[in-house]
Amino acid sequence: MANPMQQFEVYKIGPSLQIGNIDLSLTNSSIFMFTSAAFILVFFFLGTKNVSTIPGKLQILNELVFNFIAKMIDETAGYKAKNYFPFILTLFLFILTMNMIGLFPYAFTVTSQIIVTLSFALIIFIGVTVIGFAKHGVSFLKIFLPSGIPIFLLPLLVVIEVISYLSRPVSLSVRLFANMLAGHTMLKVFGGFVVSLGIIGGWLPFSFSVLLTALEILVAFLQAYVFAVLSCIYLNDALNMHH
Amino acid sequence: MFDLEELKKKLSQKKNLKEEKLSPKNTQLGIAFKIGTELVAAVFVATLIGWYLDKWLNTKPFFLIGFIILGIIAGIFNVVRSAKMINKG
Repeated sequence: MANPMQQFEVYKIGPSLQIGNIDLSLTNSSIFMFTSAAFILVFFFLGTKNVSTIPGKLQILNELVFNFIAKMIDETAGYKAKNYFPFILTLFLFILTMNMIGLFPYAFTVTSQIIVTLSFALIIFIGVTVIGFAKHGVSFLKIFLPSGIPIFLLPLLVVIEVISYLSRPVSLSVRLFANMLAGHTMLKVFGGFVVSLGIIGGWLPFSFSVLLTALEILVAFLQAYVFAVLSCIYLNDALNMHH
Repeated sequence: MFDLEELKKKLSQKKNLKEEKLSPKNTQLGIAFKIGTELVAAVFVATLIGWYLDKWLNTKPFFLIGFIILGIIAGIFNVVRSAKMINKG
């Protein structure tokens, strides 16, 4: 039976390319990232090519995505976060497409690599911190000061607040990575059962993997959504400090 | 005919309303999904901090133990906060 973890292996494709100490050769991971980016570009290009008052199917889809994200930002991060709409939209679409493309047989799921999700999470974490300091200056540090706390408890609570702030990128990245990894491993394991049980006993795991595929589509969407929502919530903390 | 002045007034009222709504409603499902990893992540980060402080200051187990406890507290704080957000939303 095939190893269910084999699908997560990253390998080089084509000639190796080395600039300084950085290895820039193409891997299956980077190729699937390019594919997702290209897919999004084509999707929006075709959708906005012939814009009309009575929209075509693709235009409706485009507008749907647009409104969906705009509404989400409005609800979670408020009025001031409108400037960050392009970033959130890009983030959501990129993660969503990478998750979805990964569901195709023989495709590689880029978001099942912790380094990819951690990079996303760190970009958001550092970005939000910088935005917070740029908007509020040193008083941004007040988010570590819980209000209405007796003075002798303050040092302890500040440490706790700092820990919970630093844990944001970890929880953000691990959630996406773990969900994708677990889902794809499960699919592979049940697929392996189908093969090894053959045509008589294979129907049970087969039906399971059909159900799992449906679940995985939900998870792929939900995780991209959760990632975007949480970025908005963190952005909200940085933009509108509530204390 | 529309009265332009009145329309303007209405528009500015709407805008004010939007700006007042600064503490926004949060999307509940999104928050519900973050609770699980939140608890673990805080403990993980705190353990790392404690580990490195010990290494740096040569105080072998003390910072590690202290920070693990703080991390558990921070994790519970996170979860409680998320649960409150859901109730509010």
